[in-house]
Amino acid sequence: MPRIQKIALVVDDSKMQCKLLSVLLKEEDYQVIIANDGASGVQMYIEHQPDLVLMDINMPIMDGFEATRRIKKLSGEGTLAPLIFITSMDSEQAFIDSVDAGGDSILVRPFTPKVFKAKIKAMQRISDLVDQVKGLQLEQQNDAELAEKMMSGVIEARNFALDKIGTIKKAATIFSGDIQLTALCPNGDIHVLLGDFTGHGLRASIGAIPVTDTFRAMTKKGFSILDIVAQLNRQMFTLLPGDLFFAACFACISEHEKSAYIFNAGLPDGYLFDVQGTIKQQFVSTHPPLGILPQLLADAQVEVVQVKPNDRLVFITDGIVEARNPAGDLFDFPRFEQAAIAGIIQKDLVNNVLRSLDDFCENCEQEDDISLVDVPCSGWQQIKVSNKVKIPEGFTEEDNYFTLAENSLPTWSYHLHLTGGLLKKVNPIPLVMNQINDLEGAGEHWQSLYTILTELFINALDHGVLGLNSSLKNSAEGFSQYFKERANRLDLLANEDHKVSEDFVGIALKYFPLPHGGKMVINIKDSGQGFDILDIFKDNSIAMNDGLKLSGRGVELVNQLCDTLDYQEQGTLVTASYIWHD
Amino acid sequence: MTVSSRISGDGKELIIAIDDRFDFSLHQLFRDAYTSITTQDLSYVLDLSKTEYMDSSALGMILLLKDHVQLYAGQLTISKPSDTVRKILEIAQFQRLMTIE
Repeated sequence: MPRIQKIALVVDDSKMQCKLLSVLLKEEDYQVIIANDGASGVQMYIEHQPDLVLMDINMPIMDGFEATRRIKKLSGEGTLAPLIFITSMDSEQAFIDSVDAGGDSILVRPFTPKVFKAKIKAMQRISDLVDQVKGLQLEQQNDAELAEKMMSGVIEARNFALDKIGTIKKAATIFSGDIQLTALCPNGDIHVLLGDFTGHGLRASIGAIPVTDTFRAMTKKGFSILDIVAQLNRQMFTLLPGDLFFAACFACISEHEKSAYIFNAGLPDGYLFDVQGTIKQQFVSTHPPLGILPQLLADAQVEVVQVKPNDRLVFITDGIVEARNPAGDLFDFPRFEQAAIAGIIQKDLVNNVLRSLDDFCENCEQEDDISLVDVPCSGWQQIKVSNKVKIPEGFTEEDNYFTLAENSLPTWSYHLHLTGGLLKKVNPIPLVMNQINDLEGAGEHWQSLYTILTELFINALDHGVLGLNSSLKNSAEGFSQYFKERANRLDLLANEDHKVSEDFVGIALKYFPLPHGGKMVINIKDSGQGFDILDIFKDNSIAMNDGLKLSGRGVELVNQLCDTLDYQEQGTLVTASYIWHD
Repeated sequence: MTVSSRISGDGKELIIAIDDRFDFSLHQLFRDAYTSITTQDLSYVLDLSKTEYMDSSALGMILLLKDHVQLYAGQLTISKPSDTVRKILEIAQFQRLMTIE
């Protein structure tokens, strides 16, 4: 491709010299412009932005050194326009001074036209290299900006309830390897993820899209945190090269259960703060970062804690605690905790931590991405209970679903019978919900059904098959003891794999379409000893007033959502029916 | 030299030691310390007693070393990390993946 003619600027007070150099330069296809003193040389440089400058040293008004200093100051940002001193001062000092002033080379008279042209060619080669590097840099920056845009504009902008979650995100390079995600579960719980890919920039970003897709899709389908973590780990193991991995902290906050489920794989401790800023609990990393092992370790477990409505969960990446001040000291955990606590008291954790970090680092260059999420434990979207009783306009006698004949036939039914170890390994609710979505299409009204199925299944498993007593959950100590015991008993179940197990949970669904809606009848049967459901309700109504009760809320909620709810066969069989209108 | 490596007198151990900072800048040096070693059943000791700081790319480099060690049926031990470094290894739960002493 023919290039635009290059411009050479000759600065020399001798007209003779200017003419001579012009001839040589024109032979090399340069367009030549001339200045006869340093000052006008600088002016011409500004006006014409030449590709090459030839500079004399001794000149009136402004000498070559000063003119060069000014020109080099001007060209600092742009591309390199090589500047060659042409002089008859053949001294060591002249050479040193011209380089000091910013000259790129020096040519001492007398020289032959061949030597002059060779010199120009060599300088042009260097200047081309500089252009090439600049071009690559620009390209890289464009890529990084694109990645950044994708990350903040596309991925994180689609997060759920952005306004409720405080975040800090400062990237070390333009693109941050840190990722912050939130998503809403079908039952109104909220899933939160703070993750940190190894490395920085584009290299760190390859996992971001698959992580986001999986996290959102699985949350939407109702998978638990541990299911999602296991899947992300498998995915990252296949996707990422050996030295890249994904350290992440996950939380599921359940407002109606007043509890939070946490899993920390390779991030610094997560925190649970109360409204006064007291640290109620810390969540240490219990698993290597995702993408290192083909599968999660066998003992991988989520931590369960009870939370109060005003509590906050705070996750951080290592960039905060490893930020350094000019003296090389780390910001570290005590400073972070102090800033966070003060921030909670002032009701502005994010800005308080940021300020404290800025004060500490005093504009020191940031080595790592810095990010934090601050999540309140309440105030999330409430589950819609209303759609069950809302009677639409134009409601007619034929719609009267209460008269649905007892012996009418369902359009379809679905059975799932899980035994022994599968009860630990498989979460049947997403499977069931998938079937329903496949058969009847997606819809808002399935959210309540999801909650009903989840609560009833967990009851059958925990109180039926595992024989756990829910009253354990009434105290704080009992609460964690309950979940520890639950994990133990599930492990025992898993070990039954080799023989035919007598432990089971059976789920059966029957679907009856209605003129303007539908009815789902759910049967869940378990192999347990049964429990007296009336006791749970009685306990609950007593506890309703003090608001402290931690157990049994599940059944309460289901009762509100269902049209009918019956426990039979000593509590080992539950039949629920759920009706909705379009 | 911030990465040094030597084979023990009895020829059964390869000891790789890192001074000062263990980060991405050592990537090539660190790889060079072991890639040419293909002896079977060798014990690899990663001596971090003089390492003052380690970042997450260093963790990645250790994982690559672990892959190499496994390929030649060797053993990998991380030796004497300082408190700071041990903390970083613990957050990443590396004690679940290899021996740290």
